[in-house]
Amino acid sequence: MKKINYGKIYTAPLTMWITFFFVIPTSIIFLYSFLKKKLRGGVLWEFSIDGYTALINQSFFKVVWFTVVISIFATFLTLLLAIPTSYFIARSKRKNLYLFLVIVPFWTNFLIRIFAWISILGNNGFLNNMLLSLGIIKSPLMLLYNQYAIIVVTVYTYLPYAILPLYSTIEKFDFSLLEAARDLGASKLQSLFKIFLPGIRSGIMTATIFTFIPALGSYAIPLLVGGQKSFMIGNLIARELKVTMNWPLASSMSVVLTVVTTIGIFIFLNTNKNKSELKNEN
Amino acid sequence: MKGSVVLINDINKSFGESRILNNVSLEIKKGEFFSLLGPSGCGKTTLLRIIAGFETPDSGDIKLDNTSIINLQPNERHVNTIFQNYALFPHLSVYENVAFPLRLQKKSEKIINEEVRKYLSMVKLEDHIKKMPSQLSGGQKQRVSIARALVLQPNVLLLDEPLSALDAKLRQHMLIELDSIHDQVGITFIFVTHDQQEALSVSDRVAVMHQGVVLQVGTPSQIYESPGNSFVADFIGETNFIEGTVVSVDDKMGVMNVDGIGKVNFYLDKPVKTGDFVRVTVRPEKIRITKEYPKIEGHPHTIVLNGIVDELIYTGFQTKFFVHLDSKVLFKVFKQHVKYFMDETPINWKDPVYIWWNPADGYLVEVEPR
Ligand SMILES: Nc1ncnc2c1ncn2[C@@H]1O[C@H](COP(=O)(O)OP(=O)(O)OP(=O)(O)O)[C@@H](O)[C@H]1O
Ligand SMILES: [Mg+2]
Repeated sequence: MKKINYGKIYTAPLTMWITFFFVIPTSIIFLYSFLKKKLRGGVLWEFSIDGYTALINQSFFKVVWFTVVISIFATFLTLLLAIPTSYFIARSKRKNLYLFLVIVPFWTNFLIRIFAWISILGNNGFLNNMLLSLGIIKSPLMLLYNQYAIIVVTVYTYLPYAILPLYSTIEKFDFSLLEAARDLGASKLQSLFKIFLPGIRSGIMTATIFTFIPALGSYAIPLLVGGQKSFMIGNLIARELKVTMNWPLASSMSVVLTVVTTIGIFIFLNTNKNKSELKNEN
Repeated sequence: MKGSVVLINDINKSFGESRILNNVSLEIKKGEFFSLLGPSGCGKTTLLRIIAGFETPDSGDIKLDNTSIINLQPNERHVNTIFQNYALFPHLSVYENVAFPLRLQKKSEKIINEEVRKYLSMVKLEDHIKKMPSQLSGGQKQRVSIARALVLQPNVLLLDEPLSALDAKLRQHMLIELDSIHDQVGITFIFVTHDQQEALSVSDRVAVMHQGVVLQVGTPSQIYESPGNSFVADFIGETNFIEGTVVSVDDKMGVMNVDGIGKVNFYLDKPVKTGDFVRVTVRPEKIRITKEYPKIEGHPHTIVLNGIVDELIYTGFQTKFFVHLDSKVLFKVFKQHVKYFMDETPINWKDPVYIWWNPADGYLVEVEPR
């Protein structure tokens, strides 16, 4: 009798889901990036690498650079806030309450939360009004529509995604290791950097990926709080798609974004792995 | 000579409402193998953590060679700890774990290499240098943590139940090894355990603690043979208590009247008056047991009691008898099998037996004047 492969049956829904919503769309984008553009959107079924040659210009690289820098800053700040926060939650007696508070923002729509930030940071917003009424400033500060606003809102948005994986690694961390390190002559700072951070490395990596990747693909945040000049790759792709109607170009940008991100993750995961393996050798 | 004198002076410590350590004072000699022995929860770990600097006492002082260390950070004290759960750094190899304290001191790579290898070979782990902690057995992990704690050549090594996670055989083995490491490095060891066998077998001196109080400090044989009070007698090894009222006293011996047994002789290890209430401990292995009435020569003070074997447990090298005396008093008697035991007249369950001991083998633990 032939054995039925139950594994395949069980994973079928997931396989179908991934095929329909990930593999097929990505393949279409890949295909479109090698076609010719139609004047008012869409593609002509003719092979062409115009989509890619058009990428080689300064303004595209500038946007890529801007996107990467913003994402790195935002990720760095997110980790800086998320590590102490997760540490605090993991060591506190009211873990469940604090975890609940971390998750609460998910109940409100993402766009509405961005608008909430606009009403906080705007010229006539909460923060400016408060500073004005306290007499700290004379005229409203320009807090919105610049790269700082993008970073603030990005950090805000992805903080929970960084806190949760960090929390779960810190919770499992054996804190007696810090005492052992202190016992062996490490100062508080040394035990933090030599024992604690390496000990929660997997959490830091997950948090980095969960923040950096979506930050690279930002669209709504720079659109709503970034102002005229703050274009990130996501906004550029949208413009090519909707305004200039250059679908092959929009596709080639998406392909570049996907490929760069994938290679980035791959290198990131591998360097970390190699480092820990190297330590075994000597 | 390496190692330090450790002076623990009147330490008090409370967690919230509960008093964990109560006026604890100890003087531990240079290079001594000193054990802290006591039941679970009596405050041994807390005292050790105060010495290491992880816990601040409410009052009292700790001195190392006459210098107070109470205000120093853990990393500033020349005291290292072996943790019960080993506390090896999981992201570092065996080599790097042992090198960790040396690297913090910015020692040269050459010195690090020499020292690490020296201490890893002392604990017989030369062949596992490249392994990660997760690839080691419990005993090997403990060895790494010993090497790591010794590599800085501390003045005092604190060991918090270092063997409790190992199986019985390995425990014996590691204990002997610890003893030989102690002889090699010559520093002061403070060894925490709740296992009296461990404490008695390797220590120079033992402190018995109970509920945050040090009850007795002494050599293993002092603790075992002349326990300071009933708790110590009961906690260390197994014992029988006989208690009664003193009916007569001469210069060396007393006689007490025990309910349901009658008159029993005892040695005056402490001053006693007629009418006092006394309690004597007799270790089960010092009591003899026979089926026939014994012929006793040379010990005129020995009293023979009779009873019935209530239970017997054969453990190979000895048999443990639980003997009911007429009065329902239960006595433990351990009979060592120095010969193949079938050669002797076997004693069975429910047999009537005679038990007796030399009064010099008992110890007068408590006297309550009446
Ligand atoms: N950080 C703390 N907060 C509150 N109570 C504590 C703390 N640390 C220890 N205790 C309490 O102090 C008492 C003594 O604890 P300690 O760990 O010193 O006992 P121990 O003698 O080492 O016991 P064991 O043999 O089980 O290890 C226990 O009742 C424990 O509950
Ligand atoms: Mg303990």
